[in-house]
Amino acid sequence: MKTKKRWFGGCLMVALCIFFYLPIVFMMVFSFNSSKSLTSFTGFSWKWYEQMFASHDMMDALYVTIIIALLATAISTIAGTITAIGMTYSKKLVRRYISQVNDLPMMNPEIVTAIGLMLLFITFRINRGFMTLLLAHVAFCIPYVILSVTPKLRSLDPNLADAAMDLGASPYRTLTQVIVPEIMPGIVSGALTAFTMSFDDFIISYFATGQGVKNLSIMVYTMAKRVNPSINAISTLIVLLITIILILINIVPALRKNIEKKRLEDPNYIPKPKKNGPKFLIGLIIVSLAAAGIYSIRPKQSSAQFAGQTLHLYLPGEYISDEMIANFEEMTGADVVIDNFDSNEQAYIKIANGESYDVIIPSDYMIERLIQKDYLQKLDPARVDAALVELDENTVGLSYDPLNEYSVPYFWGTVGIVYDKEQVSLEDLEREGWDIFADPKYRGNIYLYDSERDQFMSALKALGYSMNTADPAQLEEAYNYLVNIVETMDPEIVTDEIIDNMANARKALGLIYSGDATYVISENEQMGYYLPTQGTNIWVDGMCIPKNAQNVDLAYEFINYTAGYEAQMLNAEFVGYTPANLEAQNELAAEGGDYHGIDSFIPRSGFEMDETFNYNPDTRKLVADYWSRVKVAASNAK
Amino acid sequence: MKTFKNLVIPYVIWSSLMLLLPMLLIVFYSLISSGNTIVNFQFTLANYVRFFTDKDFLLILWRSLIIALETTVLCLLIGYPCAYYISKCSKKKQNFLIMMITLPMWINMLVRTYAWIGLLSKGGLISTILGWFGLHDVELLYTQSAVLIGMVYNFIPFMILQIHSSLTKMDGSLLEAASDLGASPMEAFWKVTFPLSLPGVISGITLVFLPAVSSFFIPKLLGGGSWYLIGNVIENQFITVGEWNFGSAISVIMALIMMLLMALVRKADARAKKEGV
Repeated sequence: MKTKKRWFGGCLMVALCIFFYLPIVFMMVFSFNSSKSLTSFTGFSWKWYEQMFASHDMMDALYVTIIIALLATAISTIAGTITAIGMTYSKKLVRRYISQVNDLPMMNPEIVTAIGLMLLFITFRINRGFMTLLLAHVAFCIPYVILSVTPKLRSLDPNLADAAMDLGASPYRTLTQVIVPEIMPGIVSGALTAFTMSFDDFIISYFATGQGVKNLSIMVYTMAKRVNPSINAISTLIVLLITIILILINIVPALRKNIEKKRLEDPNYIPKPKKNGPKFLIGLIIVSLAAAGIYSIRPKQSSAQFAGQTLHLYLPGEYISDEMIANFEEMTGADVVIDNFDSNEQAYIKIANGESYDVIIPSDYMIERLIQKDYLQKLDPARVDAALVELDENTVGLSYDPLNEYSVPYFWGTVGIVYDKEQVSLEDLEREGWDIFADPKYRGNIYLYDSERDQFMSALKALGYSMNTADPAQLEEAYNYLVNIVETMDPEIVTDEIIDNMANARKALGLIYSGDATYVISENEQMGYYLPTQGTNIWVDGMCIPKNAQNVDLAYEFINYTAGYEAQMLNAEFVGYTPANLEAQNELAAEGGDYHGIDSFIPRSGFEMDETFNYNPDTRKLVADYWSRVKVAASNAK
Repeated sequence: MKTFKNLVIPYVIWSSLMLLLPMLLIVFYSLISSGNTIVNFQFTLANYVRFFTDKDFLLILWRSLIIALETTVLCLLIGYPCAYYISKCSKKKQNFLIMMITLPMWINMLVRTYAWIGLLSKGGLISTILGWFGLHDVELLYTQSAVLIGMVYNFIPFMILQIHSSLTKMDGSLLEAASDLGASPMEAFWKVTFPLSLPGVISGITLVFLPAVSSFFIPKLLGGGSWYLIGNVIENQFITVGEWNFGSAISVIMALIMMLLMALVRKADARAKKEGV
């Protein structure tokens, strides 16, 4: 009976360990994969590590994570220890107040603490960035330090401090040489907890940061939608780092004990007096200050025009080439800090909250909205005209910014249907157009795109209306049309995940941006791109300078460089979108170009039913609300 | 010791500003209408009314609670036997096993969750293994099971550690006494060991249930866009829609429900202890 039980427990334990370590091992193995695939190992390669070290974004995130963790640990350990000591000598009321307040972040869901801090920073107009991130981390780390130091203080003889002071020690000396050494184990374990909490934190950081300052968790969260094995590489690096730290923590004290034991057995050994200084803490502070110092002086060696300056760039994820950014940095000596958004709406909220960027790249209708709300600077024609001349004429002078006074086009394209030629016949597409998303033949085999504007476009076009309609009845009809699709067709509502999934032919069809389709087709020739004759959306994303930009000169420099041939070649080769720069566009589409023969690359022009999207403040809220209800209906239909 | 008493003053100020004030702000924002400012506002209950009159939001809240409950039950069912097994091992082996369980916790949660995407996707390791057993074309990624796996994976260590620590604190002689008095091992377990480990179970439940209800990145990464939980709704209100007042109201509702549930659990625990004596 007993052995049988042990056997069962042992098996469970082994299974659990497999469960725990399988994903980690898997991740490490695939960080050496020679292809992008996450499912089949095609051969050994270091390329994702090379890409990781070359990626400015990833290295920055690594820096930020480590420095924030070190600083937050140092600050919260000191502050927490001091407070805990003070608490043991103060009134019961104060003690109770502190422990109640400390319970707030521990007893509440983390997201509540996070939005509380976000509201705090917004309400008091504190610009979110590195400082707010640090403040937030210190705020949630201190309670853990207090929690682990207090029990040690309680077991301390209350007369100890009095005795020391009676013997003539100053309060400071009493503190550092009598009390602190006694409670050292509590301080160390508090510091360790603080470090892990800070190093691992995602939710609070996500809401407390801004201006593109991100730690690893935030980076993984924003990048995870598109397969990027460099994430595996950086994760492997972290696993190694953590393992080394853990080994040091666990083994060094054990070794030291062993040595001491041997010495004690030696009759000739005279024990050294133990030093009582809080060595551990001092070490930690020195390390973190040094690290912070390295961080702050890092990129300032260049002698170029903008050396040492920073450009804050805000654009959709995976929308610009690392190589292009590196070239720009080398050319100007400036440092580019990139922040990404998931949707134009999300970008608008950040801008409206007063977050400051030098260059932003939103879509046409959002540029229109930002102009109306007076968030954008008028561009100086003398400084952008040279760039505008080189662009495809279809991308300039559109209704959202008729004279291009506020924006310089970056990428442009259409919205269409990506489909697997082996599963979907072109006849069906030609006959049904957008209605193919309601064709029961493809039930459970379609992707919708998580964007209110594009999904409503497809619905309105399918119903024969303008995508810019302001008629509530037509919008409601479109809403019901979409609800019907999510309730009967079992679609997957995705964003960028569609790219890898369609490149791997995981579903038959989906709504997609032309640039993503170009990438999908260049990866997998079995895929096609179709634009329904019911009409579609022709869109343009443009570079703009917000009113509160801090480095306008550098912003102009960036816009001019990025709109040019060389930069746009790099960007378009990297993401697959169509550059507004005509020369780059033609070269990529011509024979020998990366995207030769791919329909989606050159947007359809001159088609009567196609429209550009206009911003309409009256319908915006209605459509946003409708779309969130479609999504809720979709998840309730599962 | 008057000298040291003053050491708490900075923290009293700091914690009021950084921990208490944010909570008050959430409550404040949840009670005013959107567009109001901190100096010019009007109290309203509209945000709460909106939540409770929309059956879709209520359904999502309900589903978040259910999935958190499922996670907690799974963690308990798997975690308890493991913790029990560990507590019966030799001291050295116990330390080793506990280290095996804590080690992954040191690695970023996002990173560990991200790793599951590759394992669960079509043609990935898990679906290949299921294929050997004749289960072909099982959709794993972007399903409820994926979300559940992700949650159990992330939160089960808390359960095991809590139960383990309460099991090891137990006085071994109690079990000897029970068996001397004629209790079978089964009886001894249910009458002695289990009741004494309840405090660990309770705090384990708290540590699993709380983050599971409000988690938003696990459903987002492993559930795709179609597995909306209450945490996602809150995130969406703050990050994409920009309706802080409504978002704050949802947070307050969620926090209150949690407090209520935790109070109930504690009460049950206290009663169990009383009856145990």
